[in-house]
Amino acid sequence: MRLLVIEDDPALQRSLAATLREENYAVDTASDGEDGLYKARENTYDVILLDVMLPKLDGWGVLAALRDNATPQGAGAKPVSEAISKTPILMLTARDTVPDRIRGLDHGADDYLTKPFDIDELLARIRALIRRSAGQTSSLVVLSGGITLDTAARRVTNAGGVEIPLTAREYSLLEYLALHRGEVVSRTTLYEHLFDEDDDTFSNLLDVHVSNLRKKLDSDIIQTRRGHGYSVEK
Amino acid sequence: MASFLHSIRWRIQAWHGLILLVMIVAFCFTAWRLAWDATQRRIDRDLRATEHRLFRGLMISAFGQDNFESNDATTSDTDTRPRPTPADLMLRMRDRNRPVTLSPELEEYFANTAPGYGYFVIRDHDGSILLQSQNVPDDFVFPPPPSRRTSAQGNDEKRSAPEPLRTLRTRREAIRGVPEGAAILTGRDITPELAEKNRLAWKLAAAGLGIWLLGLAGGWWIAGRAIRPIRAISHTATRIAEGNLDERIDTRDAESELGQLATVLNDTFARLHASIEQQKRFTSDASHELRTPISILIAETQRILKRERTSAEYRETLQTCADTAARMRHLVEALLLLARQEAPGRNFNTQTRVSCDLADIMRDTARQLAPLAAERHIEIDTTALVPAPLSADPATLGIIATNLISNAIQHHHVAGKTGAGGHIRLKTGVSENKQACLIVEDDGPGIAAEDLPHIFDRFYRADKARTHNADQAPHIGLGLAIVRRIIENHRGTIEARSEPGRGTAFEVRLPQL
Repeated sequence: MRLLVIEDDPALQRSLAATLREENYAVDTASDGEDGLYKARENTYDVILLDVMLPKLDGWGVLAALRDNATPQGAGAKPVSEAISKTPILMLTARDTVPDRIRGLDHGADDYLTKPFDIDELLARIRALIRRSAGQTSSLVVLSGGITLDTAARRVTNAGGVEIPLTAREYSLLEYLALHRGEVVSRTTLYEHLFDEDDDTFSNLLDVHVSNLRKKLDSDIIQTRRGHGYSVEK
Repeated sequence: MASFLHSIRWRIQAWHGLILLVMIVAFCFTAWRLAWDATQRRIDRDLRATEHRLFRGLMISAFGQDNFESNDATTSDTDTRPRPTPADLMLRMRDRNRPVTLSPELEEYFANTAPGYGYFVIRDHDGSILLQSQNVPDDFVFPPPPSRRTSAQGNDEKRSAPEPLRTLRTRREAIRGVPEGAAILTGRDITPELAEKNRLAWKLAAAGLGIWLLGLAGGWWIAGRAIRPIRAISHTATRIAEGNLDERIDTRDAESELGQLATVLNDTFARLHASIEQQKRFTSDASHELRTPISILIAETQRILKRERTSAEYRETLQTCADTAARMRHLVEALLLLARQEAPGRNFNTQTRVSCDLADIMRDTARQLAPLAAERHIEIDTTALVPAPLSADPATLGIIATNLISNAIQHHHVAGKTGAGGHIRLKTGVSENKQACLIVEDDGPGIAAEDLPHIFDRFYRADKARTHNADQAPHIGLGLAIVRRIIENHRGTIEARSEPGRGTAFEVRLPQL
C-alpha cells in the first residue's frame, strides 16, 4: 500500500512518514500543494493524506484539482485519470469547525481528521479507506483454502487458525492481491503500490517475494498470468 | 400589581390619569353646578312672574279692573283715591261672604298638573287657608311662619325683604309674607328641570369619561413612545448578552435623551465587541497554531513508544520533541506579547513613557544579536547610529529592534547559504518634522512584490517553505505583526521597501514628543 503525505511542517511530515513506514506502507512526501498535486497525478496511491494550510496551492486547491477533471488547477495541469480521481483522500487540518469539515467532505475528501490527532486513529482510518476503496467492508479477508487475512492486525492465519509468519513486504503483497482478488494485478501496479519513490527496486524482487509467499502459505492461491501479472482466486 | 408599580410607564400613566381625572371631575362638577344655578334663577324668575300674575289677578278680582289698573297707570297723580294694598287684599279675602275668585284664565292655569305646573296657597296669619289652587300637591305642607324678627321694622322693609325660597324634592316654592300676618306661597313643579339636570349630569359624565379615556390613551401612547428606546436598549443588550455581539441599538431618534444614551451604549458595545473579538482571535490563533506542534508531539511519542528503540532513535525523537516544545513556547510568548500590545487602552497616552535614545537601543540590540549574526557570517553595521532621543517605552522599542534585526539575519541566512556573508545596516536620526527615524537595511534576497503588502499580517510567512532547524529561532510569522502593533501604539509608522535580489529596508518613524 502506497501513501502520499502532503504536509508542509517538516517535523510533522517526518514523523508521519516514519510512523507510516513502520506500519509497512510505502510513503511518498510532498511539502507544498503543487508538489503534492504533481506526485498525486504521476503516481497511483492508495490513500492521500492532505493538509489544508499549504504553501503555493492549499489543500482545497489540491482537492479540487484531483476531484474535478473539468477544471484542472496548478502548474502543468492535465486531466486526472479515473484511477487517480478515485484515490481516497484523508484531510488533516488544524481547522476543526463543522463548516470546514462539511466543505472538505463535500468537495470530495473521503475522511477528515483534525489536528492534533491520535496516531492509532489515523492508522485505523487509513486502513478503513483502503478497505472501502477495494469494496471490502470487514477487516477480515478469507481466501480459498481457509487462509485468512486480518488487515487490522496485519496477520495471516491458515485454515487451522495458525499464524503464518510473513515479512512486511510479503504481507503487503498478499494484502494488495487479496483486496483485489478476482482481478489480474499487473506487475507495474504492484510495484507502484508496494514501493515508494525512494525504494531502489529490482525487477525480480517481486518474483522473489511471490515465490517466498507461496512457500510460506503452502498453497497455490497466487497464480501467475504470464505477460499480465498475478491474481488471487475469489 | 407590584410589577405595574415598578414600571415607569405605569407610574407615569397612573399619575397622569389621576391628575386628569381630578381636573375633569372638577370641571364637570363646576359646569353642572353653574348650569343648575342658572336654571334655578330662571325658575325663581318664573315663580316671581307667576306670583305677580296671581297677585294682579287677585287684585283685579277683588277691587275691580279700574281701581287696580289706575294704581299702575301713570296718570295716578290725578287720582286721589287710596290705591289698594296687599293688606287690603288680605282683608278683603278674609271676608268669607265675598270670596275672591280668579279669572277663568288664571283658574285654568292653576288647574293643570302637567310637568312644570304652578300652584299657590294663601294662608292667613292664624294658619287657615284663605285660597289655594286646585293643583296643590297632596303632600303639601305649609312652611312654618318665618321668623318675625324683622317685622317690627316696618312694612316697606318687610316687603322688600327677600322672599324665602325653598326646594322640596320636585318643587320650588316662594313665600311672600304680606302685612296682617298672611302669606302667599307660590310653587312650581320643577320635574322637567330636575330631569334636565340629570341629563346634563349624565352628558357631562359621559363627555368627561370620554376625555379621560382619550387622555389615558394619549398618555399611554406618549409614555410608550418615550420609553420605547429603553425597551430597544434592553432588548439589544439582552441579545448582546446572549452572544450576538454585532447587535446595535437603533439610534434613529438620536435627539432625545435616551437617543444619546443609546449612542453612548453603542460605543461601549462596539468597544466591548472589539475587545472580545481580540480575545477570540487570540484564542483561535493560539489553538490553531498550537495544533501542529501538538500533533508532532503526539505522533512522535506514540510512534516511538510502539516498540523498543535504539538509544539513537530515542535521542532523535526527544530532540524533535524538545524543538517542538521550544517552538510552542516561542509561539505562546509571541502571542501573549501581541495580545498585550493589542489590549484595549494600550495606547500612546497610557504607556509608561520615559526619555530614551533610539540609537542606544539599537546599539544594545545589535550587540546582543552579534553572535547570531556572526554564525551566519553577517556583519551588522552600527556606524550610522545618530542620537535620536524620544519619549517612549524602551522595553517595547527593544522588541522592535530585536524583531527587525533578527528578521534580517534569518532571511539572510535562508538565502545566504551559498553566499559569502551579508550586511545589515542600522541607521537612526531625527527628521525635520520632529520624528525619530530608524532604518534597518539588509542586502539579503528581498521580499517578493506579492508578499510585501502582507508581511505585517499575523502568521503570514513570506518564505512559504518553513524551515525549522534546531539551531534556528522558530519563525512563526508574528514578529512583524508585533512590531507594527507597537509602532501603532506609539503613533508611529513603519514602511517596508524591498527589491528582490537586492535587499530589504524597514523604515520606522516615531514621534519624539
